[in-house]
Amino acid sequence: MKKELDFEINILPILDILSVLICFLLLTAVWVQMGALSTKQALGDNTISKKENPPSLWIQVEKNGTLRFTLKDVKNAGARLDSTLAGNGQGVNWTALTKKIQSLKSQFPQMNTVIIRPEARANYGVVIQLMDQLKRNQMTDVGLSPLG
Amino acid sequence: MKTSNFANSASRRSPLSEVQWMGQTGKSNARQKTGGAVLLPLTSLIDAFSIIVIYLLVGTQGSGIEVDIPNQLKLPAAISGIAMDKKMPTVRIQNGQYFIDDKKVAESDLGRQLSKLKEQTQGEGVEILIQADTAMDYSDLDPLLKAGSQAGIQKLKFAVIPTK
Repeated sequence: MKKELDFEINILPILDILSVLICFLLLTAVWVQMGALSTKQALGDNTISKKENPPSLWIQVEKNGTLRFTLKDVKNAGARLDSTLAGNGQGVNWTALTKKIQSLKSQFPQMNTVIIRPEARANYGVVIQLMDQLKRNQMTDVGLSPLG
Repeated sequence: MKTSNFANSASRRSPLSEVQWMGQTGKSNARQKTGGAVLLPLTSLIDAFSIIVIYLLVGTQGSGIEVDIPNQLKLPAAISGIAMDKKMPTVRIQNGQYFIDDKKVAESDLGRQLSKLKEQTQGEGVEILIQADTAMDYSDLDPLLKAGSQAGIQKLKFAVIPTK
């Protein structure tokens, strides 16, 4: 008697392999969540505006981590217009910088604008970290100055 | 003569298929022997379905957008970085070379390309996303800032890896 061949694809092993493959892909995929720090750059023109400039802090960044602060258009600043924060030998002294920004913010609460002026050899990562530090201390308008 | 065939499910049955047979009535072999209706192997399907659901949940939990970052590029870390909610033109600086949306652009041509980009974008003003390596010198970013100013682009976003 001829036995009838009942051919049927066994999908169980296929599904098992598929599941393992999906697990493998999920485990090996690198998910990086990316954020962004936003700045609003000043666009210069030749007109002379009668509007008063807002109080601002200018920070010069040197390659060795030294930061030079200059206050501009700040009323009642007295002689405290310029100051320097030396690096700690490995770069910027971040702890001292946080204290410095907090101190400036408490003295001049109306000051929200900061212009960062790095020198050519300054590290981009340090500049971004500085912007981050400023934004965390309620300096809302942070801009970058091109090289002179 | 006894024949053996891999497709003959009666002779080779896995414990899983036993479970399937037991599924509806609780009688393990009674239905099979009498040629009852074959149940669909749901266990594997549910497994695969669950994995896909988890995959979709994980993949869509952030409301951000998908951006490709080259492996060689190490983005700087920042705490106050905000998630991006819309797609925007990307300018990548890699080894002193500039790429606008993955298309290489000469440094001298940056201003013209950004102006063209601004003309193409109508409405509230164009924003560009800058991707650059954390170890890069500021002098490599400078031509882009100048070209952006020339093109009249005010809003710049710097790509960072958010940290806690």
